Amino acid sequence: MNKKLTLEEVTGKLGRFGTVEQARFNRIRVSMEPDTIRDAIIAAQGDLACERLLAISTADNTETLELIYHLIGPHRTVISLATRLPSHLPKIRTISDILPPAGIYERQIHDLFGITFDGHPGLNRLMLNEDWPEGEYPLRKDWKPEPGRFYGGIREDRS
Amino acid sequence: MSGMSGSLSGNLVRWARIKSPWITIFNSGACNACDIEIIACLMPRFDVERFGILAKGSPRHADILIVTGRVTRKQASRLRRVWEQIPEPKYVIAVGACGAGGGVFEGLYHVLDGPECVIPVDIYLAGCPPRPDEIINAVVACLGLMEQDAAHGGKEWRQKQPAGKAGHASTGEGAV
Repeated sequence: MNKKLTLEEVTGKLGRFGTVEQARFNRIRVSMEPDTIRDAIIAAQGDLACERLLAISTADNTETLELIYHLIGPHRTVISLATRLPSHLPKIRTISDILPPAGIYERQIHDLFGITFDGHPGLNRLMLNEDWPEGEYPLRKDWKPEPGRFYGGIREDRS
Repeated sequence: MSGMSGSLSGNLVRWARIKSPWITIFNSGACNACDIEIIACLMPRFDVERFGILAKGSPRHADILIVTGRVTRKQASRLRRVWEQIPEPKYVIAVGACGAGGGVFEGLYHVLDGPECVIPVDIYLAGCPPRPDEIINAVVACLGLMEQDAAHGGKEWRQKQPAGKAGHASTGEGAV
């Protein structure tokens, strides 16, 4: 099982979901639509033995939020399943039921980027402080702290 | 303040406190470099325990609180609670460039100002990170401050006077 996955193998199994490319020596990237990502993860788990989640990364491209699921298996090849969500309504189905470690990543992404993961059992705050205002996502490119607004911590009057 | 009177027991407590200050370390959002240097103080190479300086896990046992780093919004209330648990007289040393002047975390969305926005700070220690001997020096300077406070009967003599009021010129916080 230590043989690396080739681009042809991945194209054969995941090619129907989107475009497959060799992003790096050890990383194969599959770009697809948001609604097919769940089937693609199930297919990667079953057909390519990618049963482990390495990370979920997010990037803000101003109009779209790019969500990338990095999967890995005993073959040590990283399969990156990438999708794009519109910035004004970022919403995607959770994968925490088929990949339980994804749950905590999704909480963090929800905290910092504001992507809603439908069906997540507890999408609570993870990184930001408890009194951080709702609807402010500090890692978005267009986010700026509003002067005069209370973002948590100790209030100025030091009571 | 306890131990400030001229009684025998008060003098004894004062002597014991200055002879062997117990410290507690609190990371309020530092990058851990300062913490590593403080741990280096406690390890055999510098070994502050031979001077009687003892690191305690609980703030309720401590005399001196060593705060490393800028205060993050999440840690602010925790730092305040830790400080409140220290028995009087309590002293605070802000370690590192972040604690003193912001450092690399200045102006970020998740940090407040330095520790002085949450708790009163007695000594600022610069350096990124300060060397262990500088940290020992800061603790020793804090002991000097303790002695002076005991002689003045409290911390009030160090308070900066308001600008209009003519008072005796005293330094506010000691700087190392």
